[in-house]
This record gives sequence, structure tokens and C-alpha cells, in this order.
Amino acid sequence: MDRILIVSVFVVASCGLAYELICGALASYLLGDSVLQFSSIIGAYLFAMGIGSHLSKYVRDEDVLPRFIDIELLVGLIGGLSATLLFLVYGWLAAPFRTVLYALVVVVGILVGMEIPLVMRVMNARKAEFNELVSRVLTFDYMGALAVSLLFPLVLAPKLGLARTGLLFGLMNAAVAVWTAWSFRAELPRLKASVRRAVVVLVLLVAGMGLSDKLNTWAEQGIFGDEIIHAQTTPYQRLVVTRWHDDTRLYINGNLQFSSRDEHRYHEALIHPAMQTLPWARHVLVLGGGDGLAVRELLKYRHLQSITLVDLDPAMTRLFSTAEALTALNQGSLKDKRVQVINDDAGRWIETAGRSFDAIFIDLPDPSNFGLGKLYSEPFYRRIAHQLAEHGLVVVQSTSPYFAPKSYWCIDATLREAGLTTWPYHAYVPSFGEWGFIIAGKAARFMPPTRYDVPMRFLDGPATALMFQFPPDMQRVVVEPNRLNTQSLVHYFEQDWGNVIR
Amino acid sequence: MDRRGFLAASGLMLVGCSRLARHGTPIELYAPGLAAGHALRGHPALPVPSATLQVDTVIVGSGVAGLSAGWQLARAGFKDFLVLSGPELYGNAAAGEASGLVYPRGAHYLPLPSSESGHIRELLYDAGLLDGMRYDEAALIHAPQERLWIGGRWQEGLMPEHGVAPHERAEQARFLAHMHQLANTRGNDGRRVFALPIAAASSDPAWRALDRINFAQWLDREGYHAPSLRWYLDYCCQDDYGIALADTSAWAGLHYFASRNGQASNADEHAVLTWPDGLNPLARHMAQRVGADRLRAGHALRIDTGAHGAVVLAQLGKRTVEIRARRVICAMPLHVAAHVVTDLAALGYDATLHRQHHAPWLVANVLLDRFPTEAAGAPLSWDNVVYRGRSLGYVVSSHQLIRAARPERTVFTAYQTLPGMAAAASRQHMLAQDAETLFADIAADLDTVYDWRWARHASHVELTLRGHAMTSPTPGFLDNAGLAALRQLDGPLLFAHSDLSGFSVFEEAAWWGVQAAHKILG
Ligand SMILES: Cc1cc2nc3c(=O)[nH]c(=O)nc-3n(C[C@H](O)[C@H](O)[C@H](O)COP(=O)(O)OP(=O)(O)OC[C@H]3O[C@@H](n4cnc5c(N)ncnc54)[C@H](O)[C@@H]3O)c2cc1C
Repeated sequence: MDRILIVSVFVVASCGLAYELICGALASYLLGDSVLQFSSIIGAYLFAMGIGSHLSKYVRDEDVLPRFIDIELLVGLIGGLSATLLFLVYGWLAAPFRTVLYALVVVVGILVGMEIPLVMRVMNARKAEFNELVSRVLTFDYMGALAVSLLFPLVLAPKLGLARTGLLFGLMNAAVAVWTAWSFRAELPRLKASVRRAVVVLVLLVAGMGLSDKLNTWAEQGIFGDEIIHAQTTPYQRLVVTRWHDDTRLYINGNLQFSSRDEHRYHEALIHPAMQTLPWARHVLVLGGGDGLAVRELLKYRHLQSITLVDLDPAMTRLFSTAEALTALNQGSLKDKRVQVINDDAGRWIETAGRSFDAIFIDLPDPSNFGLGKLYSEPFYRRIAHQLAEHGLVVVQSTSPYFAPKSYWCIDATLREAGLTTWPYHAYVPSFGEWGFIIAGKAARFMPPTRYDVPMRFLDGPATALMFQFPPDMQRVVVEPNRLNTQSLVHYFEQDWGNVIR
Repeated sequence: MDRRGFLAASGLMLVGCSRLARHGTPIELYAPGLAAGHALRGHPALPVPSATLQVDTVIVGSGVAGLSAGWQLARAGFKDFLVLSGPELYGNAAAGEASGLVYPRGAHYLPLPSSESGHIRELLYDAGLLDGMRYDEAALIHAPQERLWIGGRWQEGLMPEHGVAPHERAEQARFLAHMHQLANTRGNDGRRVFALPIAAASSDPAWRALDRINFAQWLDREGYHAPSLRWYLDYCCQDDYGIALADTSAWAGLHYFASRNGQASNADEHAVLTWPDGLNPLARHMAQRVGADRLRAGHALRIDTGAHGAVVLAQLGKRTVEIRARRVICAMPLHVAAHVVTDLAALGYDATLHRQHHAPWLVANVLLDRFPTEAAGAPLSWDNVVYRGRSLGYVVSSHQLIRAARPERTVFTAYQTLPGMAAAASRQHMLAQDAETLFADIAADLDTVYDWRWARHASHVELTLRGHAMTSPTPGFLDNAGLAALRQLDGPLLFAHSDLSGFSVFEEAAWWGVQAAHKILG
């Protein structure tokens, strides 16, 4: 009799720790900041276990055994399905992830906290020597914990994944329930009911096991649609790279940055109309563009002696200098001898950049917040103009003149407010839609190129001519320039996209 | 002279240095001018000068008023003058620095200059900040400017809106429209009633009668009772004058809202100019025009005037020097001048009769290694205020930087006055508290809006305690005969300080400095 209880203790302890580890790992995987996630989950879990131990005293002596069995089944069900449930919530419901996470941690913690006190009472009722009892229960409790803490990171998580590991432990909890019920069948008043419940739980868990692959893919698809080949939370942003067949995509904070299928359109349009007209250029600057794709295009010009790339996030430039799938895309551009990568805030860096550049490409994220809005402001453009050679050109990625016309023309107005002459143009990039750029310069001359000297996939003379024409549904709108005092651009940007996404 | 040398010589007083018990964060407590000021009280025996200096004009004090005088003289090509810094270079426009970050120790913003403030426009033009109607955009306050913590969340702007009943909102709107109308109201002499500087304001007695009642009485009379509006107005009185609504002259209360009519071609009319280190860059610009060789660290022990000039007994570091000058511009606060200038009463200012109300201020500069996590609602703004809070809110020193991402570190500058108490009592109160208690009180609002972890990221705290920070415009301040007498002086001794206006803002301080300089230039 005792042996079965001791084995139960071992299994129960393993499962208890396993759920804790699963929730911690899942939270740090999805939310980042693993130290914080792990400690707060362990804290909440242990606290809930304390509540569980306390609650266990309200179980009447004659009910101890049936309640223990019920609790095992419940832990098995809830704990076992917790990882799967959390994936689904994260994928399909935006807001309540944290709430669901902690609710699960607390519920499972309370149930697990009731297990050991109940086991002790069962054994105590069977006249076991108390000293002996405590020491044996605790020994197996800790041994179970050790087993799982080693198995989880080394075998289970990598081999089975989090969702199936959870289900596996759920099955073990349920098995303990069934085994206990069977061994004590003589003492159980309502054996049938217990067995029925156990069957339901086992069926659910087994079904979960079978479907887990499907559920998982479905959950991640809810997030990105495609297979995730890299996900990372940096101090600045969340980077996710996905792949589906030959399409590699980069998302920053959930916004698509490029799709390998059509990024050549975006980057050719960003770089070549200006570069083709600057055969004398020697030194160029790229602000943003940590994916190295703009640099790849620039490296086609042999006459360039240096390319300086300033990107905020070291994790981003590291990723695009080292990950094979990505360096294949940018052709290792960030490692080229002519390229210098600087990780700094473009706003700060430009204030101290002591040298001038023949061309400057500003490929920053859209002005979706006040911080980014500052890098689309008149003082910023004046600084840029200051670092620009007299006959050099600036090119700014300027959101979509079709979807965000106010934002687009606001950037144009701001560049002009900074004393620059502008030549707005646009290109069609299927994954983005109609996208906009602006060429600006201090001297009032620029002619769109009629041919290109470097090899091109998208652009030629006639295509370029079209880019500089704005059809009737994309005409200039009159807007205020982006002033730091009001940051009108950030408001325009919100309005524009608010109109598109309903 | 380097900054350290200047501090040592000018006797900026470091009163104490302790640590926050909670996290071990060091707290430094400064009380600028406290030692030098108190040493002058009660006719102390004065040291004998070891040298004599001869100069045409001495400016005593390097606050905004003193530096404006020096700047005007220098601009006019006048060279034969000296500026004596006093215990605190830049006075209330001083700034501090910690780990490469700068922050204000006092004044932090300047509204767009009013139509009468030609002297301010001239200064901004001279500093390369103004071109026609266009102000340097980097210095114009960047959006988002202000937010208010009310009902457990942040709203945009300081006028309470979130959860405020429609009839109160209507009253707020009526008040603002009323102020808008007063801004364009002229007295029987054709001048704006609430002009800035007030030297340019109408002398129409019908309007000046408002100085005889307090602002709360005026609001009652006009039917402004909404608690949210009254809180806002009380907040404004404290923020600008260091006193509560009910202690503020109604004329001054209205002046705050109706005087600023500045316009810019590239900003809203409510825009202000500010820098990470507050208004210190403007003071520094004037000091630079004065020239380092004319700016001396030290303070005046006594100023005597005679028929042919004046003599300033000055403590320059360890040396005591007698400075003989044709004219002296006394640019120090009047409560100090009362101890330094012999026979001030003969000039028409009686230190007991004409004494003004002085509000004490506490400024806490908190160096943060990380931005605290923000709650829902309006994003972190330049000025962040808690509705019915303990302090006047906090300003973010890195707000004006042009950056895509937040810098790693920043300084939050929190301000506090103690309007509930009589000035002397509140001064005593502040001086009696230890640094930790003072900080706990001024930082209570930060505890309200951030989770408990915010203070862990504070790596340094500096408290600047200004016992006599500024004069406050209590009812009757417009008719202070002593001030009127000092404003008129045109002999060997001239006065220039915001005290002459009866309330302390940059425009007023600079006005008196420029006036004194014009008298010297003839
Ligand atoms: C906390 C705080 C915040 C403020 N914020 C603003 C703001 O945002 N905007 C605004 O417009 N105004 C603000 N003010 C008002 C500010 O006082 C004025 O803008 C202005 O700085 C006042 O200048 P001042 O020259 O009149 O006087 P002070 O700044 O008081 O200058 C007095 C000078 O006299 C010197 N002195 C004292 N004793 C002696 C002596 N014995 N010998 C020689 N010299 C001596 C001092 O060293 C000092 O340099 C603020 C004030 C405080 C206290």
C-alpha cells in the first residue's frame, strides 16, 4: 500500500515541477526577459502551493482519498493542457495572455499544493510512523523534482516541445489517479464515478497528444502565418524571421519589414534612382536598414569607397551578418570590407558625425511613435543636410502615398521646410502595396535616370519614369510639415492607417 | 575657471550627503546661498580688504537679471565692467550634471515671448534661436508636452478631463475663453492690462484694483467653482508663484493666463522653449557674451554708496577685495541686499515695511539608469503631473533629445513648494527635515504613478533646497512703494532683480537687467 503512495509522491512531485518549468519557459519564450518571467512564475506558483496546502485542511478525513484522486485528475487535465492552451491564447487572442498565464499558474499551484498534504494524511491514517513518513515523503518529493529538472531541459523540451511535454505529465498525473483508485477500490465509496472521470481526462489528454502538432502550427500561424526560423526580443524590439517555401520574411514588433519574394523592388527603388545619378559618389550613409539589403544594392557600385550603416539594434545587425538564411539574402553585405556597421541611435549619431556623405539613405521604421517621429522632423533633416555633400542626395523611405497620403506628403513638406528640394516617387511592392520614397537635395537638380549601369531586376528607364508620376488617386495633399512641437506626422500616420485598417 | 573651482570659490553649499535607506541610493542636498546668506545677517564684523579694484560698473549677482545687464552692456560694446557671481552662478537658472546628463536646478522653461517682450526676442535672436517668427525647433517643446495622472491613468494635457463631469468641463472652457479675452483687453491708457513685463502693463486703476483681492475671491465672484478647474488654477499658482490660489493676488493669477500672447510660425501659441538643462543655456549664452574674464566668482559683503560712486566689499575666494566703481547694479535678491547695502531705507526701501513674501522651493533631480515602466494612457511627456499630488510633478530632462529610441538613462526633475504653510515656517520645516524625508515627500507622486521598482533604478538623487527661492505676488504686491522706489533709482546704485516685479519669471528678471544696462549706457 505504501509503495504505491510513495511512487505517487515521486510522480506527483515531478509533474508539479514540470508545469512550473513549462509555464516559465513558455513565458520567457513568448514575452522575453527570462529572468523576470521565471522568477515571477516560480514565485506565484510556490505561493499558490502554499494556499493549496492550507486549503487541504478543509478536506474531511473520510474524503481524503477520493479528493486526492479528483485532484490528480484535475491537475492532469489543467496542467497537461496548459502549454497548449497558452499557445492558442497567444496566437489568437491578443490581450489576456498574461492573465491566462498567471491564472493557470495559480490554479495548478493550488492543486499541486494540496497533493502532498493529502498523501501524508492518507499514509498517516494507515498508521505509518510519523517521523518515518515525513522523511520518506519529502525524500521522494525532492527526488521527483531532481529527475524532472534534468529531464526537462535536456530531453523533454527539445524532443517533445512544450505542449507535448505538458500533455505527457498530464497523462502521468491521471495515471496516478487511476492507479490509486484501483489499489484502494475497496475503500472508495463511489468508485464508478471516479473511474468515469478518469476516463474522460485520459481521453482528452490523449486526444490533445494526437492533435498537438496541428494545434501548435495553428497557434503559431495565428501569430505569423508561417514557420518561425528566428525569434528574439531585444531591448529595442521583437524580431521574428519566418519562412514559407522560398519566402523569408522579417517582422519587427509584428510589422512586416520585407518579404524575400519582392524586397528587390523596394531596395532597388530606394537605392538606384539616386545612385545612378551620382557616379562621383565615394562615401554613403545608410540610417536604419540593419537587414543589409540596401547595402547589398549599394555594393554594386564599385566607385563607392565606404558605406556607413547606422542601426540602433546590435541584435539586428548581428543576426543579418551571421544567420545563414539571411546572409544568403543580403549576400553577406554587412561583412563587406567597404561597410562599417555602427550601432547607435541615428538621432544621436548624426549630431556628432563629423564627416560629410555624398548620398544618405534613410530607411527607418515608419513614424508610428513620438520617438521615431523625431527622426522625420525638420531639425533632424537639417542635420542630415549639414552632413550632405553640396551636390549629394538624400533618399527617405516615406510610408505609402496610397494608404498613408497625409503621412507621405507630410514627410515631403518637412524636407522642404528644412530647405531641401524634393522629388517624390513611388513603387509597387506586392507585399506592402504602393510604397513611397522621396529624393531630396540642397541643389535644385535631379533627373530620374533613363537607364542603369548596374544589373537590375525591377527597374529600367520606362519603369523609373513612371515612378516619378503620381496618378490621380495619389495626388499631393496639403498638410503641415512635421514639427517637433506638434509631431503632426505621428498623428497623420495614426489617422491614415486607422482609415485603412477597420 | 573650471566648474569645480567656481563652486568652491562661490561657496555653493553642499549641506549634506546621505543614502536612501531603501536602496542605498546616494542623496546630495544642496542649499545654494544658504551659508553666504546667513553669514551676512546681523551686522557681522567684516574682513579688511587686501586689495582694491577700480572699474566703471560692477554687477552684483549672476542670476538672469545680472547676466542680462552684462549681456546688454557687452552687446553695446561697453567693456569696463565686472560681474560678481554671488554664491550661485546663474542663480535660479543654474543647472547640474551627473554622469554626462544635464538637468535644471531651478527654472526650466520660457513661454514664447509676449508682444511686449522685445528684450527676450532680442536675446533669442542673439543666441541664434529666433529668425523672424521662427524659433529653433529643437528648443521648442517637443510633443507630447504634458500629461496628468487622474483616476488611475494618464490623460493628455494638465486640465483635468478624464472622469470630469460635463458641467465642470464647460466651466473650464468658459474660463479659458475668458482668459483669451483678457489677453486682448486694454486699459484706459491703451496698454494691455496684463502685459509682460508688467512694467508695460496698463496703469488703469479699475483693473489694478484686482490686486486687492485674492484669486480665489475673484473666482468665486465670477462663478468659477468647478473643483477640477480650481485644482488646476491652484496648481498653476504654485508652479509659477510658489503659493496657493488663495494667497495669490487676483491680478497676478489672471496675469499668468492672460499675459502670454507669443506667436511662432512653427509652433502652437502654448509652446514653450526648453532645454535638457532647463533655462541654463540662455544664462550661459549671456555669460559667454559677458566674457569669462569679466565674470568673477565671489560675493558681496557690503555695498556703500557715495556721491561719486559706490564701493563693493567683495569676498573673492579667500581674498577680500574692495571694488570701487562709478555705478553698481545690485542684481541680488532684496532680502540679501537688505543686509549688504548700507542704508537701503534711505533709498526708499524699508526692509520691514516693504518686505515681500518669499516662497521656498525644493527641486529633486533623480538620475535613473532605466526608464520606469509606464502605465496605460498618454505616453511619458515633458511635464508629468499627478492630480492632487504632493509635488508639482516631474520634468524629463531627456525629452528634448532628438532620438528614435529612449536613451538608456535620464533625469527626472521633480518640483515642490509648501504652499500650505507660512513662508518662514515652511522654510524652517524644509531645513529641519533630513534628505531622505524630503525626498520621500517629493517622490511620493512617482510612487503613485510607477510600480515600486522605479526607485531601484535611481542611481543618484540631488536635492536643491531654495529657502528664499522667489518672491510671490500676494494681494497688494503691485503697490509696494519700496519696490517702486528701487525701480526708479538712477544714481550710483541701480537695482535689477525679479524681486522688483514682485514675482519671479525669466522675462521680468531679464527686463530689469536690460533696464539697468540702458541707464548705464545712457
Ligand atoms: C524652482 C524654480 C523654478 C523656476 N522655474 C521657472 C521657469 O520655469 N520659468 C521662469 O521663467 N522662471 C522660473 N523660475 C523663476 C526664476 O527665479 C527666474 O526665471 C529667474 O531665474 C530669476 O533671476 P534673478 O536674476 O531675478 O534672481 P536669482 O536667480 O535669484 O539671482 C540672484 C543672484 O544673486 C546672487 N547673490 C546672492 N547673494 C549675493 C551676494 N551676497 N553677493 C553677490 N551676489 C549675490 C546669486 O548668486 C544669484 O546669482 C523658477 C524659480 C525656481 C526657484
